[in-house]
Amino acid sequence: MWEKPWKYKEGILAGAGLLATGMLLQASVGGIDWGRMAFPVNVIVLCLFLLALTVMNALRRKVYLFAWLSQRSTAVSSLCYVLGVTVLMGLVRQGPSAHPPGGSGMVAALSDMLSFWPFVLVYVWMTVVLGMTILRAGLPFRWRRLPSLLNHIGLFIVIVAGTAGAADMRRLRMTVPLGETEWRAQDEKTGQMVELPLAIELKDFTIDEYPPKLMLIDNSSGRLLPEKTPVHLLLEEGVSGGRLMDWDISVTQSLPEAACIVSADSLNFTGFHSVGSTYAVRIKAANRVSGEQKDGWVSCGSFLFPYKALMLDERTSVVMPDREPRRFASEVIAYTDGGVRKQGTIEVNKPLDVDGWKIYQLSYDETRGRWSEISVFELVKDSWLLYVYIGMIMMIGGAVGLFVAARPRTAEEERK
Amino acid sequence: MSWDSFYLFAIPALICWGAGAIFAWKGRRSILICGITLAGLAVFFSFIASMWFSLERPPLRTMGETRLWYSFFLPLAGLITYIRWKYKWILSFSTILSAVFICINLFKPEIHSKTLMPALQSPWFAPHVIVYMFAYAMLGAAALMSLYLLFRKKAPQSGELALCDNLVYSGLAFMTIGMLFGAVWAKEAWGHYWAWDPKETWALATWLGYLTYIHFRLDRPSDYRKSLLVLLLSFVLLQMCWYGINYLPSAQGTSVHTYNL
Repeated sequence: MWEKPWKYKEGILAGAGLLATGMLLQASVGGIDWGRMAFPVNVIVLCLFLLALTVMNALRRKVYLFAWLSQRSTAVSSLCYVLGVTVLMGLVRQGPSAHPPGGSGMVAALSDMLSFWPFVLVYVWMTVVLGMTILRAGLPFRWRRLPSLLNHIGLFIVIVAGTAGAADMRRLRMTVPLGETEWRAQDEKTGQMVELPLAIELKDFTIDEYPPKLMLIDNSSGRLLPEKTPVHLLLEEGVSGGRLMDWDISVTQSLPEAACIVSADSLNFTGFHSVGSTYAVRIKAANRVSGEQKDGWVSCGSFLFPYKALMLDERTSVVMPDREPRRFASEVIAYTDGGVRKQGTIEVNKPLDVDGWKIYQLSYDETRGRWSEISVFELVKDSWLLYVYIGMIMMIGGAVGLFVAARPRTAEEERK
Repeated sequence: MSWDSFYLFAIPALICWGAGAIFAWKGRRSILICGITLAGLAVFFSFIASMWFSLERPPLRTMGETRLWYSFFLPLAGLITYIRWKYKWILSFSTILSAVFICINLFKPEIHSKTLMPALQSPWFAPHVIVYMFAYAMLGAAALMSLYLLFRKKAPQSGELALCDNLVYSGLAFMTIGMLFGAVWAKEAWGHYWAWDPKETWALATWLGYLTYIHFRLDRPSDYRKSLLVLLLSFVLLQMCWYGINYLPSAQGTSVHTYNL
């Protein structure tokens, strides 16, 4: 042990040492507060880190520890530890809701893995090994090593820029009523309302929905039938009937915009083209086995009208679940302090870029569904994103090289 | 087109692939082998394409749909490996593996829904999942190869280990690209490229597993048994990432990656 060259035993011990150090730090100073890494601290730490790597690389021949840090066996040891803590993170539910307040310290620490010292220390170790490897293998530069270097440098940039930028990243939630302009938003980290240098005016909000579905439920449990693989009938254009288990269903009347009219002894639907309308269909159902027949309205209801199921027999009913949104979009105008005015449509997967901010369609008033009169946006600013993307592009280049060149030849094969 | 007619495409495709595998085994001309395997792929892909058309969305959302792609990519990966490295048994291998996944879809068909939630309506959807499925196919082949070398073979030849390496390098390359496509997509859809969602955490663990294999192989080529064990372990992590998290208590209700409803 500790006889040069250091190999796996030493690597395993080094990792165990880091875990122990991390545990001690966790017990003494508590979890890591990443908020403290906000600008300019992150830039200073980053510069010191890169400087330290350069110095360690320069002293590689004099200090054995530094040479060891760029060895392949050290890379494998650090990868094993990183893999271990990542699996642990996957096995323990993450997030503040995962543990009761005031619960045992260890459970709380493990469910906030990103602030857990041992987790962070082994990742730092791997990143140091990665950096040292890049400096050793990349200087002097050789074309033959390009794919490998792209992979390593790309990953290094992604980890370092992603981590350093985390504290600078701002994520806020803004609710804008229809026709109004809002510039206050709730910070997702602190929960506080803040005023932004950016305002959003909501001109219009629309939801396109998928056609309604008919499904069967169990009357007593309310579960969809058959359990596990429930059947459904999508009432898209041109569909006027179909089969649900033993029931043949035919639609006799279809009202995409309907109102429910309740009288003393009946419940009826009629056309209603205004706010709060619901979808209703009148169906005939015939059982193939028993020959039983049923006739009646089925509707998914809305915030204004109740839903309506049709009872087929003692065990089953036909229901129309809430329609699934196909697309929801907001027409907005964004204004900034600097006088920028940008009009656009924001929808899921299509954020709007304004002055370094990305504005995402997050939600709407789900109780009102397509009649929602608000739109909820998420506003994100990540000034380090460009660097992360540069790292990712390098990694993609490296991966293509990895595929084309496949496995590098071993020394033995090269001799042949 | 629906699952009901799947067997009409799956069986002819399997026959083509099986014939290709037999011809490869017997050392027939490669043009014949490639031609017949490609014919099988064309038949199988025409089913995928018509599902795509009739569902009006890419058939990539549910487990059954991803299995469909997996059973398509296995023979394709086998064919590429065959063309590139001329292993005569690789096509039998990929055909059998593909047949397993086809059988699951034949005997346990899923109910199909046309709906696709807005989060999945993105140009990144198809490349992200397809690239991943191709990687899984490569790595699945590598895992079977490692089982064979660990438990059936006394002393593997260097060519057999090199095949494992090649499959892992190719698979990992695709996995990296799939993961990065996912990251860019996540930035567009959810506001951040990496959110430590359970699916992401397990995808990272899988990726780290294969990185460990590659680095250990380079460091200790003679210690191949340990490498092969790492390869198997990585494949277990892959299962966790692919569908295991659907059953994992720590991931229940916390993953935004659940569309298999």
